Amino acid sequence: MRVGFHEALDQLEASLQEEGSLVLRVLRGAVTALVGHDLELADEVIAFDDEVDSRYFAIEEGIQDLLARQTPVATDLRLVLAVLHINLHLERMADYCVTIAKLVKLAPDVAGDLTLVEGFQDMGARAEEMVELAMGAFARRDVAEAESLVDLDELIDRANRRVVQHVLSLGSDPKLQEWGLRMMIVSRCLERIGDHAVDVGERVAYLVTGEFREFTDASR
Amino acid sequence: MVMTAAERIPGVEVRHDAPSGPALREVVFDVEDLTVAYGGKSALSGVSLEVYKNFVTAFIGPSGCGKSTFIRCFNRMNDLIPSATVDGTILYHGEDLYGREVDPVEVRRLIGMVFQKPNPFPKSIFDNVAFGPRVLGLKDGLDDRVRHALEQAALWDEVKSRLKESALSLSGGQQQRLCIARALAVEPEVILMDEPASALDPISTTRIEDLMDELKREYTIVIVTHNMQQAARVADMTAFFSVEVDENRDARTGILVEYDVTSKIFTNPSDQRTEDYVTGRFG
Repeated sequence: MRVGFHEALDQLEASLQEEGSLVLRVLRGAVTALVGHDLELADEVIAFDDEVDSRYFAIEEGIQDLLARQTPVATDLRLVLAVLHINLHLERMADYCVTIAKLVKLAPDVAGDLTLVEGFQDMGARAEEMVELAMGAFARRDVAEAESLVDLDELIDRANRRVVQHVLSLGSDPKLQEWGLRMMIVSRCLERIGDHAVDVGERVAYLVTGEFREFTDASR
Repeated sequence: MVMTAAERIPGVEVRHDAPSGPALREVVFDVEDLTVAYGGKSALSGVSLEVYKNFVTAFIGPSGCGKSTFIRCFNRMNDLIPSATVDGTILYHGEDLYGREVDPVEVRRLIGMVFQKPNPFPKSIFDNVAFGPRVLGLKDGLDDRVRHALEQAALWDEVKSRLKESALSLSGGQQQRLCIARALAVEPEVILMDEPASALDPISTTRIEDLMDELKREYTIVIVTHNMQQAARVADMTAFFSVEVDENRDARTGILVEYDVTSKIFTNPSDQRTEDYVTGRFG
């Protein structure tokens, strides 16, 4: 029995789940800062990214060590590869949160459109739900749960498209226009977090089935 | 669509219109329901598989799973053990290897064997390689034949200036390559290797593995190995054997659990027992 190896694998997976929790925190923080135009919180979100990054590097180093010394195969190999990818997806999600926080600071302090702001609250909650679902599916090795992410992602995509329409109708006030343009990027960031959650789901399916496939064909 | 083992084999075209989806790569051995017993006790039971031409095929599994017993069936080495009985069939290019008219000596010329421990004769390097051809009466061009075999075994450059020296003066790794040259000198079609690198250091092991990769262009290679990573590195196809224990009869017998393309065995095996073995959760 390769006890030490399998313990190291378990630790790696636990570490990844912790990284997932950190991403949820930073996502909640970014959306709260956005909705309340809380510049202090935005700064905290930006600083908090270092936590995610250090976790990201630690996991990558752990994978490097396992690959070099343990030559994982079969499920173990697929788990290591899944962790490697999911680690990157989580780190990217956190980066999008940082972008949102930076946009909160950059956007002019105008009374933005309330419908849009409430919409972001919904999109943020949806993105959180997706990250939670993706990491839960990973923990439970549940392919059906992972595949259900596609439907949730469609909702975020639709919300993102509505934001563009809404910003175009904001009128001619330059300050409001600038705010609107920055909010389009915020919307895009939330939409991308959803995409990364779907990618995590695809890694769960690979881990369980051993087959490489995308849940949806992006070219269609 | 889930692919069959044959469909995953590189270079194999599978006709989907044919009901059994036969592999078009040439089959060297076709083993059907093979059972081997020693003194009435079953060592290996009900094995069926095909060995393909110009492939390295590896047999892996825990001690006592019958993999060495199995490889010895391919050149009728078990004939030399009085208590051994072999049931089932092994077809070699469609001919029954155990047919009455088949000469075991000719079988062993066509299907050579390299053992775990290098076992050169206490003779010169040249004589070791020349022995087989001499026995078979292949005396013409003997020097060239010996040289060719030593070149194929990647040993020529190291020994060409001392062919008359004792083979026992060579290092372990060189001795093993000499034994491979000895097997090649009689122009076999298949080379069976039973743990060929287990007594060698890592550098010599790498040379033997590289050699297998070279040799498979001309020969078909079957290897038994304890070293799973060696199978992963060198084999095109891998068969996993395990031990089946019958508690009531206090009997243990080797069985074939899974046989597939090596990358499948080591990334996504179909059988949980294979999974447990290759990931080190069992054995």
